[in-house]
Amino acid sequence: MKRVKHQDVFAERLPGKPAPEAKQLRKLAGDWLKLRRADAELSQADLAARLGLKYYTFISQVENGFSRVPTEIMGAWASELGLEPAPFARHLLMYYEPELYRLLFGAESK
Amino acid sequence: MSVVAFERKPVTGAWSESELNTIVTALNAALAPATGREWETGTTENGDAQFYLLGSLPDQACELCLSRIGRRYILEDGSGRLLFEHRNLDLVVLHARAAVPSTSWLMVRMITVWCAVRSVFHEKLEPMLAETEELLVQLAPQLAAFA
Repeated sequence: MKRVKHQDVFAERLPGKPAPEAKQLRKLAGDWLKLRRADAELSQADLAARLGLKYYTFISQVENGFSRVPTEIMGAWASELGLEPAPFARHLLMYYEPELYRLLFGAESK
Repeated sequence: MSVVAFERKPVTGAWSESELNTIVTALNAALAPATGREWETGTTENGDAQFYLLGSLPDQACELCLSRIGRRYILEDGSGRLLFEHRNLDLVVLHARAAVPSTSWLMVRMITVWCAVRSVFHEKLEPMLAETEELLVQLAPQLAAFA
């Protein structure tokens, strides 16, 4: 029954509380971003320049898992990597907001 | 006389002990155990050193990032906003210290003290004042009669 399923989801983690593994998930997101950038044959400096950033240090900050891709440049980030913005954002949401991702798309759509 | 310009060798690689000391000392208050903050280091793909000031658990998101590119130090926040850049690390760490959200320690202490004072006032002083006022109300007519 659907209701039971939802209750199970909420039983796993308290709603509204960030997951304790947030740091590890950001690291996984960073690794994924690094791979996508390598696929696009761009260096961190190339990507930073295309995104209009003065330095590439922020790209490194995100890829090392210490920060997130800011929502306002997520679309541009995806485009520069040759990816569709919507699936890109959806994939990152899985790492950055796993609970929200689970509620929106369900666990099976990973 | 001709002057030969010497090209300074660019600095790359991990932080030196003295650089790391300068940064951690400057951010000493921000890194106090009560704040729950931590720090980590890393490098860019070119091997440039990075220092990350992380917020408290469970999110531990980057609040500040200090990087060294060549001989230049770059200070950014966790959203990639460029806050300051200079060749002098002492100057950059001063900006880093100012950029750290610093409500925590002193503010919390001041609020706690203020609440304690208010609580004591309400519990002890107010009943005493009320009692005195009541006494005055009772005595005032009698005093007036004597006068």
